[in-house]
Formats: sequence, structure tokens, C-alpha cells
Amino acid sequence: MSIEDIKHDDASPVPARRRFLNSAALAGLAGAGLSVGLSACKQEAAAPAAGAPAAAPAAHGAGEYGKYEVPPGQLDEYYSFSSGGHSGEVRIYGMPSGRLFKRIPVFNMDCLVGWGITNESKAIIGTKPDGSLKYHTGDTHHVHQSYVDGMYDGKYMFVNDKIHGRLARIRMDTMETDKITELPNVQGFHGTFPDKRDPVDEKINHTTRVFCGSEFSIPLPNDGNDMNDPTKYHSLFTCVDSESMEVRWQVLIDGNCDLVATSFDGKLAATNQYNTEMGAHYQDMMSSERDACLFFNVARIEEAVKAGKTKTYGSSKVPVVDGTKAANQDPKTALTCYVPIPKNPHGVNASPDGKYFVCSGKLSPTASVIQLDLVLKWFDGDLKDPRDAVVGEPEIGLGPLHTGFDNKGNAYTTLFLDSQIVKWNVEAAIQSFKGDKNAKVVLDRVDVQYQPGHGFTSMGETKAPDGKYFLSDNKFSKDRFLPVGPLHPETAQLIDISGDKMKVVADHAVYSEPHDSIIVKRELIKTRQVYNLDDFPNAIKDPKESGVERKGNKVTVKMVSQAPAFSLPEFTVKKGDEVTIILTNLDKVEDLTHGFAIPKYDINFIVNPQETKSVTFKADKPGVYWCYCTNFCHALHLEMRSRMIVEK
Amino acid sequence: MFALRALRRLLPALAGLVLASAAHANTYEVKLPPELSTSPKMCDYAPCTEVMPGATSFSERKGQPPFVEAYKDDGSQKKLLGYVMLSTDITDTPAYSGKPVVTLIGMDTTGKFVGVKILKHSEPILLLGIPESSLIKFNNQYLGKFVGDNIEIGKSRPDENLIGLDAITGATVTVISQNQVMMTSGTAVAKQVGILKPVIRPQAKFPPATTIPSWAELVEDGSVQRLTVKPEEVGLKGDGPYMDLWFGYLNQPTVGQAILGKDGYASLMSRLKEGEHAIFIIKPAGMDSFKGSGFVRGGIYDRVQVRQDKDSFTFRDLDYVNLWSVSATGAPAFSESAIFIIRGKGFSAAYPWKLVFLGNKIDKETATKTFANFDKEYWLADKYLEGGRPVVVKPDPTWLKVWKERAFEIAGFIVFLLAISAAYASRDKLVRRANRQRRWPVNAFKYTGWVISIGFVGFSAMAQPSITQVLTWFHSLLFQWKWELFLSDPLIFVFWVFIIVTVFIWGRGFFCGWLCPFGSLSELLFRLGRLVGLKRFQFQLPKPLHDKLKWVKYVVFFGLLAVSFFSMGLAEKLAEVEPFKTTFLVGITNRSWPYSLFAAGLLGLSIFIERPFCKYLCPLGASLAMPTTFRWFGLKRKDECTSCKACAKGCGSQAIDAKGNIDQRECMLCLDCMVLYYDDHACPPLAQERKRRTKAGQPLTPINGKGYFIPIHQVPAEAQKKGATA
Repeated sequence: MSIEDIKHDDASPVPARRRFLNSAALAGLAGAGLSVGLSACKQEAAAPAAGAPAAAPAAHGAGEYGKYEVPPGQLDEYYSFSSGGHSGEVRIYGMPSGRLFKRIPVFNMDCLVGWGITNESKAIIGTKPDGSLKYHTGDTHHVHQSYVDGMYDGKYMFVNDKIHGRLARIRMDTMETDKITELPNVQGFHGTFPDKRDPVDEKINHTTRVFCGSEFSIPLPNDGNDMNDPTKYHSLFTCVDSESMEVRWQVLIDGNCDLVATSFDGKLAATNQYNTEMGAHYQDMMSSERDACLFFNVARIEEAVKAGKTKTYGSSKVPVVDGTKAANQDPKTALTCYVPIPKNPHGVNASPDGKYFVCSGKLSPTASVIQLDLVLKWFDGDLKDPRDAVVGEPEIGLGPLHTGFDNKGNAYTTLFLDSQIVKWNVEAAIQSFKGDKNAKVVLDRVDVQYQPGHGFTSMGETKAPDGKYFLSDNKFSKDRFLPVGPLHPETAQLIDISGDKMKVVADHAVYSEPHDSIIVKRELIKTRQVYNLDDFPNAIKDPKESGVERKGNKVTVKMVSQAPAFSLPEFTVKKGDEVTIILTNLDKVEDLTHGFAIPKYDINFIVNPQETKSVTFKADKPGVYWCYCTNFCHALHLEMRSRMIVEK
Repeated sequence: MFALRALRRLLPALAGLVLASAAHANTYEVKLPPELSTSPKMCDYAPCTEVMPGATSFSERKGQPPFVEAYKDDGSQKKLLGYVMLSTDITDTPAYSGKPVVTLIGMDTTGKFVGVKILKHSEPILLLGIPESSLIKFNNQYLGKFVGDNIEIGKSRPDENLIGLDAITGATVTVISQNQVMMTSGTAVAKQVGILKPVIRPQAKFPPATTIPSWAELVEDGSVQRLTVKPEEVGLKGDGPYMDLWFGYLNQPTVGQAILGKDGYASLMSRLKEGEHAIFIIKPAGMDSFKGSGFVRGGIYDRVQVRQDKDSFTFRDLDYVNLWSVSATGAPAFSESAIFIIRGKGFSAAYPWKLVFLGNKIDKETATKTFANFDKEYWLADKYLEGGRPVVVKPDPTWLKVWKERAFEIAGFIVFLLAISAAYASRDKLVRRANRQRRWPVNAFKYTGWVISIGFVGFSAMAQPSITQVLTWFHSLLFQWKWELFLSDPLIFVFWVFIIVTVFIWGRGFFCGWLCPFGSLSELLFRLGRLVGLKRFQFQLPKPLHDKLKWVKYVVFFGLLAVSFFSMGLAEKLAEVEPFKTTFLVGITNRSWPYSLFAAGLLGLSIFIERPFCKYLCPLGASLAMPTTFRWFGLKRKDECTSCKACAKGCGSQAIDAKGNIDQRECMLCLDCMVLYYDDHACPPLAQERKRRTKAGQPLTPINGKGYFIPIHQVPAEAQKKGATA
């Protein structure tokens, strides 16, 4: 009984999974030669385990999993950059250890570092006219880094905010957010992906654009008109300049945008569409048998923008080109190409060889392989039907969502409903689609606990994946960890994909809710150890510049920190003053970060070595306020204080 | 145990008595506060103001190697006056005692020495004999001199830009090492603060990488080097190394890619600016960390350093890059790793450099830490450098300089030693030419040897061997053998090689009787005494008493050896039982009266008793007498010697016992008995034979090698025939 024989129709997968989980049935199945997800050695270990259920597997496990652990003094082999979902942040883990190194505040507030508290971070997040933050919430889904020649260049990382439709950029040398751009006239900005090279200029073999899809269609402009006529709702596909972070252009489309992928040659960007029906309610959204994967001809769009074939919506000055089907009937001039894909697809991923995009079926148990040169052929007018660009559509299991790739031509797709990862061969899928009955498409399956969402391979989004690990970000953990109340952590399961058989090698608990991650080789990341004093125009470079300056009721307090003291042991302001505190950390020693908290004024932030930050607040409460260093810095850390005296 | 402890208490007390009247030594083996070497506030524990006149405040220790800044409060402004450094922070150069002279050095902002103060020394010669003030006087010669100048012991040579310093007579090793300490310390700090500019070496050019070598190949061609420190080298116990590091240079494309892989190499190189260099270190084994934790707070890695000639390159936290793994196949697994970036100007991979591990040695007795560093040289192989390795002229080590400077003297000394040896080797011929009344064929050589030994070797070159050297060897053999230390006094070194060789060939008598400056002086006085008619006052101790007293010198030797294991310093003091230092090194008139009296007394007694010191007290003689048991060539004896007492009577060393055996351990090889051996008028058996033959009218055949007339045999013809047919 080979793997292909396990057919997955709508009814079979659940019992099939149960069989695997049921240890009583295991021995019998092993006899039948069924080896899905189970190595021979596991079967042998499992049989005697019936008598001594706990001891044997435990003893077996220590040695088996040891190599996926990182002992003291050793370092992880990979970084894993992960979105934080509706926590609004981005996280950095080490792989394979799964240790959390850092949480980068992006759209959220973070009182540890003072994100959303300091003037500098507020300016990045965006403020209302009164200086308060425009938004306090965010929902990060997709993290992707900038490329040079199809490989990460370690410069930028981009992440979306689905709630408010914003794109943020994280500079990789400091791993801190440096720009946030709000996209006009979109809601539900979900998928995003930077391009990998310029479609026209050969010399630009690196990222210059970031594409953003909008999932929720809205009236354009969304100013109170047409609210009850969903047929007038639209989605826009947006292109942002990766350097300036200005919005370059937008495309008006039919249907919505879900995930986004870009081609290695820079010519195509694509988004999968699950609501070509433009339904406002979910039953309407599922009515069609086929939705689409929508391709954008980047060069043609930019020509159209240049030619002024654009319009604008509302107060936005961003040029919008028309990418609807009606306006793009002639393939030779079309800006967009709608490739039909079965039933509410989810996820579109580029294969590392640059040839294919894989779009998962979600409600269809298939994955569609789209050949990119055929899409380009369609744009040239040489392919009759966009559907002809689909060169493979294997049945892989229930609820396929996201696909990662290894270095051997295999794809790994998360099956949400089956709660499995399926390993399948792309070329075999194409052969099978052509009618080759002997093509062995599905190679392996492994159960994951439970219900995987995103999954991705180590270096899988570059032209050189290494085929070592697959990380399955599962949506439910249920019984996998010590209970911590009704809100469970999620399970990020590490799977060794280097062999023929996939092998789950670690359960990492992660705080809700990572959607997507990338696993990047450690040597591609180059970070700064300390800041450069000159990067901050308001830096106080000499302790002698410390002091209090007053202009009317605007007071500026300049201070430096050098362990274990602030340069001003006290400073005095008057009630009603608008106080700005500028603090430069003059310590040069790596990792010597200071904090600055003001009781009752709701202020805390940190200054890293050679960094400058400032806060502005109204001194509305007279009295003595002990400002103190919150970030442990020195043996005399507790003594590191300054008195803010607010006179009546 | 108790006995040992009691002895330990008693010995210093005894020494105290012995030295009651000795000049007070201020800093000899004084106990220094342990904080002196460890506290950031060095000047709280050291008299910094004494070496930096006018300074009112001092910074904490900074830099690597450390120093402090000295300030003068000028109203509100603090003015930088200069720098104060503690020599042991910078170098562990040992002096004569094998321990460093702890010196506090002040240097102004222009690099001129402004103060030198000895905080502690362990030099016995300065405790007894040479006053400590002479070292202070020596040190004062540095004041006002620029650290960048070429300062050496000896005469100034303006044409070579060499500034000479006057040495201390009799303490050459001490001052040579002191000069090294002063210049090394001053230079190390002057380089750090920018007084001395780093040497700019031409940068290396590398051929592109072709094949990527394995770890074994890297080891083979020297592209990775190993620096190992044993636990005992840092005063610890344990199996396996204390520190076992492999290291190498990463900018070289072949080596760099072998270690880091292609991507890792490219990534690292993209971090480096021009003129910056990366090295890697991994630690496959070891008891301690090579990173320590100092860098976490202070930002400086205080355990490793790179040195190129006199330039040292330290690393701070920002110079550190993670070394993920070593990609070369066959590389050892490791528990600690680093890539350090050398950013200082002047480093060039074309020239040799050293990785230095800056360790601490824990003294077993006192648990105090002393500075000890360990290094290993690294030089890229020819094939990894475009044009191969450049020619490098390495400065001579200090000991070699001394040898070169004194080449003539050393050569003369060697010629002298060989000449006397040649004479002694042909003793058989010489003694045959001599007879009872006419001994000059032997004595001409011996007396010449004595005179040169006393004048040149003793008084001029001050190369009188001493028991302290024997003790030092014992300690070196047991603990740490430092060739440099022994080589720094060439004549003594040559002399000892010669002594060791001759002791095993001929016995100790050759050195003691023919070459020892003091022994020569002693016996020469005895001979002169006889010459001026004091013979009637000259006497020997009765043989039974002599046979008891001769053991005293062995007791002295073993006593000193035993004491040396408790305290080398005390043993050195007690070694004053040798009057050598007083006689030759310092001068009998230059010492305090107890020493002068002791030496003068022994020499005075020598006029009346032949070599009283050599016979009864000399621990050096005792130490050489023991191996003499295993000498190869002894003196000749005849069967009749067992009953005949003729030689014994004339033996000045009283080395011939009642049975006629020569005690080679006591024998001074004066050869008097050998003169008799062939003298047919003096040797009783020979004289008897001579008389018999003369009476019998037989011919006096020549005397053979066994000391007899060649026998006259009547050879029967029959026997001859038998012999022919046999």
C-alpha cells in the first residue's frame, strides 16, 4: 500500500488521521507496511511501548532530539522572523532552539522600550494633531525581507498591519521599526511581498518595491457613500517604494486580494483571490467553483502610470490604474491576468527555481501550479486562456493553505483541516496533470498538533533554500503545553525535512499569534552592536550640554546617561509647562542600555548605547518625582536616579 | 609535619641572626597588598605621587595592558600630567631571582620617564652585598629619557642612536631585566596613548582562493595555530589543558573560506573597512573561558590580545563577531568561539604576529595572583601571500645581545678553558717530565690557570660559579626551565657547561683545583705563604679530625637545598657561607664588616691551612663531589699503594686514606701523587726496584704506563716455539 493509495475525499481524512494517532491501531498498520509519518524505528519502539508506555519513548527521545537543541555557549543556526498577529509586533526567534530573542514593537505600544511613548516612535507610528497616537492597535501577518539577487540582503524587513492598512519597515541593522506608511483607500491589508528585481532595468537586481493586497473591499472613497451597495465596493492592489516608503501606485481590481507573491525576475506580482464573487457575506464568497490568482504586469502598470492613465480617489494623490477584467480584455495591453483557481484559494508562493507559483485550494483539496512563463505568454497574446497557465493541480489533502519549498524540487503544504504537512513533488504534479499515471506526487505526510496555518522552509523564499527545516505555525495547541488558562499559546512545530521522511523534532510554544515567518541563515544578518551618536540630530554629545532650557512654557531638559548616573541629579519645571526630556546614552559598552521612567507621568523608555530619545508631556502635577533607570545597567543601578521637581 | 613547620619558623629566625647586621633592605620580598594588582584604583595602593611629581589625582586603571592617568588639579581644570604604570601589569620579565621586580613607573605626556620606584624585589644580590640604593641609582638614569629611544645597558653608541646605561657591577642580570621591564612597560603605554605611533607595515596581498583546504591541511601549513596553557603554568591542578585555543587569520581568502565557508567569508569581509583584519579563536578544550566576563561591563576583552612586534592590539565588545561554526572538514568541536576584528593601524598579515593569552598565575603558597601571559606565533605560509613571506629581521633576544657584545670575552674564556683542559689531558706526559724537586712542568700550567682564573674570571668577569646557581637549577628543573635566565650571563653559562662535562670526565677536582677562582686564590695564598717562609706555621688538621670535618660541606649543601624549597630567598641569604660574592663580585672592602671579616678570615687561614674553605665548607664543592663518583678517568695507583704511605703524606687535600685509596671526591687533582708515580727517586716501590736493578747490574728500562720499569724477561726458546705453533 503506497502513499498515493490513500485517497483523500471529503470524508476520509479525519478517520485516516485518527488511525495515525491511535496507538492501538499502530501495530496493525505497521504490519500492513504503512509507513506514513512513521519511521521504521518508531514502529519498533512503539510496539514494546504498549507494556511500558512512558519509559521507553522517553529514553529513546533524549538522544534522538538532542541535535535539535542548542547547548550552553552554542548559537542557533537560523533566525526565524515571525509576525505577531494582533499583538501588532514582530518577533525574532532562534532556530532550531525556538528561543525568543526579541519582540520588535511595530504597530503596538511597548512600555519596555518606550515604543509609542517617545517622540521618535510616535513620529514613526503617526499622530493626531494633538500629538497623541493615531492608532494603538495593529495586526501583523506577513514578514518578508529585502532581496539582492534573489537572496536576503539583510537590509530591511517589511510587515503589514491588517487592521489599519499600514506597511511598516524594520531596518535589519538595529532590528527596529523605522518607517510606517498608511495605504490610502484600502482595508484588510493582508498579503505583502517585496519585489526581487526590477522588471525593466536589468541592473536593478534588488528590492525596490513592496506590493500590498487589500482583502476587504470598500466604497471608493470610503467617505459615507455607497455603503449599502456592495457591488460598488472595490479592492486596490498597492505598490510602495521600498526606500522612500511612499506609495507609488495602486491598481483597481475585480475581487479581493489575499496573499501576495513576486517573481524572481521582477516581472510579475500576484495575489490570490478568494472572493471574486465580491460577496459581502461569507456564504456569498464561496458561491463560485473557481476564484483566481491575479497577476500584475509590473512593467505595464508603471508605463500606464507614467502615461497618466490614472485616476485618484478621495484625498489620496496616489495614481490608480484600472486593473479590472473589463478594462483589460486585450492580453497584449492588459495590466492584469486573472488565472482561475479552484474554490477560495489561500496562499500563493513562489518556487525557488523562479518557474512557478503555487496557489493552495483551501476549500479545494488541491494546490495549483502556475507556470510563470505561460502567464507572460498570455500577456504577449500567445496563450489563449489564462487557465492554461495552470500546469499542475494535485490533490494533496484537506484545507491546503501555504506552501514552502526545499532544494530538491519538493513542496510542503500545510493542510489545515487534515492537521498535516504534506510533502509533494512539483515536477511529478505537473507530469500527473499531463496524464502520467505513474507520477508519484505526494511523497510523505506528517501530523502536526494542531491545525497548521502558515508553514515555511528554511531559506525557502530565496533562490537557494537549504531543505533543512520546515516550521509549522499551528493555530491551536490544546493539550501540548502546561495549561495557562483559557488563552493557549500556539504551537510552532519544527520539522526536519532533510531526509525522505519528515520528522517533527520540536514543539515551541509561541504567544498568540504568529501568522507567517521566514527562516534566515544567521550569516545573512548583520546587526549593529551600538548606535551611532551622529544618527540623532538631537543627541547631547557632551555631558556639559546638560541643563534645562526654557522658552515661554516650553521647557527642554537635556540629559545624558553614563552608568550609573544621569547627568542631572535633579531638574525643576513649573506646573503647566510643556516639558521635553532629551536623553542621550553616552555609554559605549555593548548591551549597556539605560531606562528612564517618570512615576505618575506614565513615561518609560530605554536608551541603548549611543542612542538619543525624547519624550514630551505636560507637567500637570506639582511635586517631587523620582525618575529612575529601569533597565539594569550597573552595580549602582538602583542609585541611578534623577529628581523631577514640578513647582506649583 | 610539626618538625617542618617548626623548621620553617626557625629558619627565618636563624637567618635574622645571621643577617642581624646586614644592611636593611626596604623592598626585598615585602608583602604587597593584593589589591595593588587587581583594584581599579591602583593608586590607592601604590605611591603613584612618588613617580609622578605634582600629580593630585589619578584615574582608575584603564587600557590593556592597564595604566592610570595622572592629573593635576589646576583650579577647576584637571590637567593631564602623564601616566603611571605598574610593571607587573604589563610584563612578567623575571629578574635574577626568577621573579619580577615590581616597579612603579611614571611617564609624562611627552613620553619621558619622570619617576621609577621599586615596590618589591626578590633579588638576593640586592639584599646582601649590593645596596638597594644602587638599583635606585640605576633606575634614576631613566629620568628624563624618552621611551621611544634605544636604551640599552652598556656604553652609549651615538652612531647607532643607542643610549647606554651604567650597569650595576655584580648585578648585570638584574639590570638587564630591569631595562627590559622599563622599556616594555613604557612602550606598551606610550603606544596606547599615542605617544609612540604604531609602526605602519605594508599590507599583505593575497592570491585568490583556489582549492579550499581541510582542517588537517590548515594545521599542516600553519594557517591555524594552537595555543595551549597547562594548569600548572597558572598554578592550578587538573587533567587536560587549562586553555587550549586554535586560532587563525581570516582575511586571507583561502584560509577565511576554509574556516567560514564562502558565504560566511563574504559576509565577514563586507563588515570590514580597509585596514581592518579578522582573526578567529575556538576553544576545543580548557578549564576556563578565553572571553571571561570583563567585556560585559567594561567592554574590553581582557584575556586575549594580538601582538605584532611591540604593537599590541586589544579587542573591545564592538570588535567581536560571532563565529557560528568552522566549516573546514575535520575541525575540532569547540565550546567557545570568537571572531575578533583588529582595527588598530599598523597590523599586517604579511608579518608574523602573536596571539597572547593574558593569564594569571596563582601562587600556591600565598594564593596571590600574578600576571602571566602565554603566546603563540602566527605567520601565513608563503603560498598564502602574494610574493611569499617578506624578509623579517627579528631583534635579537636580550641574552643573544649580551653574547654578541661579549663575544671576545666569551671566546677568550673558552680558549682558556680548552687550553687548561688540554694541559690536564696530557698530564701523563707532564708528570713524567716532572719529579719531586722539579714540579714546574705541571705547575706552570696550573699556576697560569689560577692566575687567569683569579684575575680574569673572578675579579674582572665575575664569573665565579656559586651554589645559588645549583639551587636555581634544581628549582628550574622542578618548576620551569627558562633558558633565557641562564643564558643572560654567558660566562657563567659556559663555565657551567664546562664544569658539568669535566666533572663526569675527570671529577670535580679539575674545576676545584685548577679553575675555581676562589679555590685558586686560596691555594695560591698557601703557596705564597710557603714561598715567603711561613712554611713552619703551615699545618694540616689531624687526619681523623679532617675525615670528620670534610662532611660538613655536604651538610651545608643539603641544608641549603632543603631551605631553598621553603624559601629560595632565605637559601640565597644563607648561601653567603660562600665568600665568593664578597671576594669577587662586591669587593672585600665594599661590604659590611661581618662579610668582609668572614671572607678575609678564610683567605687568611688559607695561608696556613691548604684550602680550608674547599675542604670543609664549600657547598658548591660538595654538590660537585657527589657526581664525581661517576667520573670516567681517575688517577693511577699501584698495588703497593695499599701499604705505602708516601703519597698520602704529601697530599695537600688529605684525600688519600690509610689504605692508599684516593678519595676522588676530595681530590683537587694537583697531580703531586702522579709526579711521584713515575719518579724512580720518590715512589718507594719504584726506588726499590731502581736500587735492586742498579745493584744487580740490570738495565733501567723505561717506566711503563703502570708506573713500573718495563720488566726484563728471560724468554725461553721453547715457549717461543709453543707460542708460534699455538
